[in-house]
Order: sequence, then structure tokens, then C-alpha cells
Amino acid sequence: MWDTYLIIPMTNVLLFVYDFIGHNFGIAIILFTILIRAITWPLTAQQLKGTQGMQELQKDKEWLGIQKKYKTDKEKLAQEQMRIYKERGINPFGSCLPTLIQFPVIIGLYRAIITSLAATPLSLLNLSRNLYPFLDVAKIIPLNSQFLWMDLGRPESIDIFGFAFPSLAVIVVITSYIQSKLMTPPSNPGDQSAAMGNMMAVYMPFLMGYFAMTFASGLALYFITSNLLGIAQYAMMGRANWSNLIPGRK
Amino acid sequence: MKTKKIFILSAAVIIFTLLSGCSAAAMGSDSWPGLSADAETAYIANGGLVYAINLKNGGVNWQYPADKADAKEAYFADPVLTEDEQLILASAGPDHSLISVNPASGHLNWSFGDAEGVWVGSPLVIGETIYAPNADGKIYALDIKGSFLWAKHISDNALWAQPVSDGEYLYITSLDHHVYAFDIARKEIAWEIGLNGAIPGQATLDENGVLYVGALDSTITAIDSQSQKILWSTSLNGWVWDSAVVEDNILYVGDLEGYVYALDTEDGSLLWTPAQPNGPITGSPLVTENLIIIGTEGGSAYAFDKDGGSIWQQNINGKLYTNPVLGGELILFTPMENESDIVLVALDLDGRQVWSFTPEK
Repeated sequence: MWDTYLIIPMTNVLLFVYDFIGHNFGIAIILFTILIRAITWPLTAQQLKGTQGMQELQKDKEWLGIQKKYKTDKEKLAQEQMRIYKERGINPFGSCLPTLIQFPVIIGLYRAIITSLAATPLSLLNLSRNLYPFLDVAKIIPLNSQFLWMDLGRPESIDIFGFAFPSLAVIVVITSYIQSKLMTPPSNPGDQSAAMGNMMAVYMPFLMGYFAMTFASGLALYFITSNLLGIAQYAMMGRANWSNLIPGRK
Repeated sequence: MKTKKIFILSAAVIIFTLLSGCSAAAMGSDSWPGLSADAETAYIANGGLVYAINLKNGGVNWQYPADKADAKEAYFADPVLTEDEQLILASAGPDHSLISVNPASGHLNWSFGDAEGVWVGSPLVIGETIYAPNADGKIYALDIKGSFLWAKHISDNALWAQPVSDGEYLYITSLDHHVYAFDIARKEIAWEIGLNGAIPGQATLDENGVLYVGALDSTITAIDSQSQKILWSTSLNGWVWDSAVVEDNILYVGDLEGYVYALDTEDGSLLWTPAQPNGPITGSPLVTENLIIIGTEGGSAYAFDKDGGSIWQQNINGKLYTNPVLGGELILFTPMENESDIVLVALDLDGRQVWSFTPEK
């Protein structure tokens, strides 16, 4: 099921884009990422709205009142919170959805990349069975996995004085950090959830960087493109919190 | 909020696990076994381990490495026996070594690990020189003791097949749709011809200097190596994965649609209605004095006479991707993905199973 509904369709779309633009796999991944971002645009907008709504609630008198009033009655507190969510049109899980969507996309894209590049006879044979009829497979194969200095089917590094420097992974960490910081709304001192958000803004970029350093560089290209598009999207919606990038400012 | 963060972190861990699961494939460490044999021993390159099997009884003479599989090596290319009694093995694993072992003992003679890409195809040994095609698009030359001589760029795409040679040129096929004639003395490409599909298999060279090349555009093409011209091209029903076999001016070849063909080498015309066994054919046919033997993905071995008539069929548990090989009086198949984990089956010339070999777990 995983293969039928995710990996194979993503592989075919990726190869269609690759064929359409003249056999450049790097550009195909970038365009594919733009496509994914465009499809998930409404969800990202919903995430931003949800995050902002949740943040505003933290300062709302009624919200603070029920926290105090029902602090010993968790069931009643939950009922009241749901009522306020409903009244204000806030979906408390709305901010999770784009993140949820990201995970299968990451796995699917990674599998699509390695499936498409078909590094052994068996993988090429399997690829041939999974392509849709609209693709002229005989002409597409083999895929050109080179993009700039990278082999998109392998982890990337640049040789600097004999040291293998993972440049893409570093860019992934930086762009992920910037995106996380721009998404974080201004917070009050002592706000626990904001503190946790700040921690995540540090840990998640390093986790993504580790993925980028360990796995095929095509995945790193996806991360970077996706991060840059995310930053652009927040900026276009006027929600980017640029002050968060300045050290010492919250 | 805290629950959400924990959820995201957990999901990240799951992603990492799933991606790690795929990374072996990304590094190209999974394919079908390689097989070769002399009159007494069969050699199977089966991923992390290579086995020497006694053809008399199917017992193991040795395995390499002797203790356990090396996770960074994946041997799938057909092992190559040299005249000076070496067995050359090529790895498609992350360390992608080209090694020589003693075929009698399985002891390592030497190892070459400086190629940039993995080895999918077998090397060709001519005299004192080993010519090895690599997935980095280069042909590497080593002396018979494993010392590096030179490497030449042939293609921007992978070279997956063992070259063939007339002694003057190496004829190299590539996934980039081209056949290259490489001048051995001048160490440069003399000429090249482009076809319409990737060429994963080896070219076949006949005694008249004609090359026969099957490609993934479902054609087989005859090229005159002297005039460098295409003599004819015949469309088949499916992709041609591996090399054709020439005997008595007849070209025998199978395709991925599961047909077996006999073509006239003069003009590529069909000599008999293509036979259709029970599944796609990736390996080259084995042609004996009286029989044409093929294995199918459907898991059956078939023997036809030289007129295309069916002689026998034997069901073998597993997918038969590798070329069948003749070892002494036995026909050897390496089944994949079978319930019993059998990696080698020996049939007699009448199609009866003599023994099978399953590695110890």
C-alpha cells in the first residue's frame, strides 16, 4: 500500500518532471518541492493561523481565567478549552497537520530518489515495473544523477584541505534554523511552551542536518528548497518574525 | 504543546529508521547473484559472501570471507577465473573493492579499492591485464597482481557489463545508450555508436567481428566493428537485458516480455516463432551442443532444441535472473527469493535436479 499510493506515484511524478525539463534531476527535485509546497500551501497557512491563534489565547483573559478556575478539574478544563477553540474558530491540531504531511513526503521523496536512480540491475528491473505508461522509460534511463558538484544519489561533501566538509548539511541546518525562528511568534518571559519552541528551533535543524549529511544529497536539496520556500511564504504572508533572528531578542 | 513536540521528535526518529532501511538500496548493495564454474567447482557471488561449491555433491569447499559477511562489500558480478588461477571478485557495496582470491582455498591474494564507483559488471582479463568497468563510467586497468595501471573515462553514466575484446579493442556497453570501441594500445576511445536505449548487458562479438547489442528500447542491433556501421536492427517484444549468444550463425536471446528468439545473424530475421516460457528472461541463454537453456523470473528452467521445440521444463523454487552456467555435466541456476533460501541448483542435461545448495544461517 505504501508503495502503491506514495512511493510509485511520487517516483512517476519526479520522473515526469525530469523528462519534461530536459533530464536534470536536481532541477526536477526543486520543481517537485515547489509542487509539494504549492499543494500544501493552504495547510501551511492554516498552521500559521493556528499557531498565532494559540499564542493569542495565552494572553486572553477568559482563557487565563478558566485555567485558574478549573486547575483541579482536568475534565471540565478540557471542555471549556474546547468551547473556546470552537468559539474562536481555532483548530488546536491545525498547526500539526503540515508537519504530519512533511513526514511521508520526506520518506516518499527519499525512496523516489533512490528508486529512480536505480543503482543496481535489480533496482532498475524493479523501476521498470513501477512506471506509468505515459513515461518513455527507454529514453529516460539512465537518470543523470549529477547536479552541480553533487551526485544526488549519494551523501554530499566538499573536499577542503583533505577534510570532507558536508556543505549541503550545513546549509540545511542554517535554513531550517532560520525558518524555525521566523515561525516562532514573540513570547512572554516564563512562557513554557515558547521556551520549548525555542529548544525545538535548535534541535530540529540539527536533526535535519544529520539526515542531510547521512542520506542521499537529493534529500538535502529537497530540505533546502522547502526551507527557502517556507521562509518566502511566511514573508509573503507578513508573518515572518525577523526580530527572532537577532541574538538576544525574543 | 509538549505532546506535540514529543510527537514530532518521535516521528523524526521513525523517519530516520525508515530512511536508514532504504539507504542500503541507495548505496547499491542489492542485486542478483553472480555465477561462474569450471569442470569441478561453481563460484557464487551472493552479496556479502562468495561460495565455492563442489559440483560432485553440492558441498561447500570454502566461503569468502571465511568467518562472516563483510557488510561493506556486496559481490554480485560473475566471478572471473584467470589462467594463472585467480578468482576475481567485484563488489557493489559501499567499499566497492575489486579483489582476487585463490580459487582452491578462498584466501585473499590482493585487493584494489581506489575506484570511485561500485563494480556491477565483471572484469575482463586479457593476458597479464585486468580491464574492469565501473559504475563511475571509467574502465580501470590493473596488472594481474592487482597493481593499478590506469583508468580512462568512457561515459558519464555507469558501465555495468563485462567488456568483450578482439585483442585490439575493448567493446564496452553503457547505460548511456552507447557502444564504445576502446583502443587498448592507444588507451583511448576509437569510435562509438549510439543506440536508442540503455545497454545493461554485454555485447556479443562473433568470429567475423560483428557485435550484437541488446538494449532497453526492445531491439537487438548488429554492428560491424570494422566499418563501424549498423548492419541491422530487429525489434523484439520487450527489453533485452543481457547478451545474446551466437552459434552457427544463429543468435539466441531472451527478453523481459518472456520470449526466446532465434535470429539469423545475416539480417536479424526470425528463424522460428519465439517461444514463450513462464516469465521475463534477464539472463543470457546457455547454448550446449543440442540445447538452448534459459531461466525465467517465474522460477522455471526451460530447454529447447535448435528448432525452438520444447525439450524439458523444470520448476525451480525462486526467481532465475542470473545466466545459467554449465559446470562439468551440470546446468547451474542461482534462484533468488525462494522460501528455502536455496542459492544454487544443479540440473543434469535432461533437466533432473541433482542437488541444491543452501548456505548455513
